[in-house]
Amino acid sequence: MRTLVLGLGNEYAGDDAVGVLAVRALRGKLAGGADVVESAASGLALLEVFAGYDRAVIADSIRTGRSPAGTIVEVRLADLGLATAPSLHQAGIPELAAVARRLGMGFPDRTRVLAVEVAGPLMFGAPLSKPVAAAVAPLGRRVLEQVQRWASEDSSRGRPAGAGRGPKDTLTRGPGGARCTTTTRSARSSRA
Amino acid sequence: MSREILIDPMTRLEGHGRIHIFLGTDGGVDRAYLQIPELRGFEKFAQGRRAEDMPQITSRICGVCPMAHHMAATKALDDLYQVDPPPAARKIRELLYSAFMVEDHALHFFFLGGPDFIVGPDAPRQKRNILGVIDAVGLEVGKEVIGVRKQLRDLVAEVAGKAIHPVFGLPGGVSRSVSSEVRQEAAAAAARAIQFSQFALGAFREAVLGNPGYVELITSEAYTHRTYYMGLVDEANKVTFYDGRLRIVGPESKELLTFDGRDYLSHVAEHVEPWTYMKFCFLKDIGWNGFADGAGSGVYSVAPLARLNAADGMATPRAQEAYEEFMTTLGPKPVHYTLANHWARIIELVYAAERMAELAADPEITDPRVRTLPTVAPREGIGVVEAPRGTLFHHYQTDERGLVTAANMIVATQNNAARIALSVDKAARALIRNGQVDDALLNRVEMAFRAYDPCMGCSTHSLPGHMPLIVDVRDAGGTLLREIRRD
Repeated sequence: MRTLVLGLGNEYAGDDAVGVLAVRALRGKLAGGADVVESAASGLALLEVFAGYDRAVIADSIRTGRSPAGTIVEVRLADLGLATAPSLHQAGIPELAAVARRLGMGFPDRTRVLAVEVAGPLMFGAPLSKPVAAAVAPLGRRVLEQVQRWASEDSSRGRPAGAGRGPKDTLTRGPGGARCTTTTRSARSSRA
Repeated sequence: MSREILIDPMTRLEGHGRIHIFLGTDGGVDRAYLQIPELRGFEKFAQGRRAEDMPQITSRICGVCPMAHHMAATKALDDLYQVDPPPAARKIRELLYSAFMVEDHALHFFFLGGPDFIVGPDAPRQKRNILGVIDAVGLEVGKEVIGVRKQLRDLVAEVAGKAIHPVFGLPGGVSRSVSSEVRQEAAAAAARAIQFSQFALGAFREAVLGNPGYVELITSEAYTHRTYYMGLVDEANKVTFYDGRLRIVGPESKELLTFDGRDYLSHVAEHVEPWTYMKFCFLKDIGWNGFADGAGSGVYSVAPLARLNAADGMATPRAQEAYEEFMTTLGPKPVHYTLANHWARIIELVYAAERMAELAADPEITDPRVRTLPTVAPREGIGVVEAPRGTLFHHYQTDERGLVTAANMIVATQNNAARIALSVDKAARALIRNGQVDDALLNRVEMAFRAYDPCMGCSTHSLPGHMPLIVDVRDAGGTLLREIRRD
């Protein structure tokens, strides 16, 4: 079973960096347990990143306006819905998952999205706001717990856990299309 | 009673656009505009940083077109250090830039223009998305979009170090040369891209030109603005993306001027409005005369349609053929129909693929001399490229150590901002009457700005990353009359 830990965000754009910073701190703590990928890319630009993984934890920022800044929320991919993306800039993870599954590129069967509620405005070069900075470590812990939970499920079933390859420093290209074990499953069967 | 309709993509951070539509007492549109926020603070952030870090830093400004920023910044460094890259370096840069344009245009056409034209502008909302497009064109075509894209990305990763955030641009050249094996890979990728671009052109012809209703929509007055157009051209005034001179053509097809990108401040100025911090670019040579089109207004446009209008044609044979068909069908030049951007984008896709093939066929591209070393103290540098969504300017001033003292950047959406405002207003006026506002009408208003694919505070990633719409109807006193939510 291969696990991806994906931190999304622009580290130069204040609170948007929270996902990237949280997963960066996990490097070394996950050795062999998951691939850690950081990316400032958005939407469909991430298409290939997920191929070949059975499970993924995505760390990102979110703005629902329903919780105070710094709150960690778990989002079900299915709840995000599918939009008519008004711009390539706005095609998000739900669109990406739908396309990847429909085209048989492979998208992890089990996806957890952990996001930190942030407040605007985003400024280039701005530091993280206090409440969001305080959420970086807890977000990392939540990601780690999820990976460990999956690993212990594996070991109780006697399956080898891991990423299948060493940790990656940065996003270069997807891990290749050779292993697309999830491709025949429909989006509906996902437990995301 | 005056009402305000607000189309507000709530879930983006500062990076979201808002359409405000004010209805007058007669139920018609009094005024409508789109506010496009941007990621602010770049100019200040750049100060004190090393100029040669700019290609890497700026490639993170946009999560969609990092290569455009990387290239504009790299070209600004050439200018800053007054170095001309050797021929092989210029060709490698243009090869990768063309690959990037193919990839971006192909994705855009199928997955963004697709819902409007392949699925249909009035199709049910649940069908008007990426999956609807895949259903309409078939799985194999969808897979080919992804397959071509992967091959191009692999090439870019091979040459530029990283597929998403390239690390190869240096002042005076590139970081590594291209082997003959990579040249062959590039040729193979280009051949596939050409084939695919021809297919895309055919799909457009079949879906759109075969449907009189679509043609009527494209050419309708609601989506027509007679503005100036700007784009990079080569010595023969043909469209070019990586390098050239900027040409401006007027609404009557007359060339207004051609200038070196280094002189942009003499020709482009910014107008400020009290209701938004967005700055509206206009042509200094004409002047700002409000949100109006026509030869007397300095409003201009960039992006695929503008590039085709600003040029005299395409530099490659298949693209030129497609260009002629485009101008015969929608002309005379310049074509003023905003929705023609989708067709223009495919013509550029054909050109980018053919240009890739030309560069991959050139043996000089494997020359190991890919760097001219800077020898002079830096002072000021300006770089210009055509990003997928239009002209992109990077401008840096430094001290003698090469530390940035001032930076300026004009992205495509800023160049287009005034025309986008015109588009939203005109579409709203033409389509919304007697206070009747429904889903299909709002979609038609959105289509007006979607054709430009504006950058809305890009490079922010907050989930879900797409755009639910809130339509707020308020009376003149600000009281909420009704709210339509479209998640």
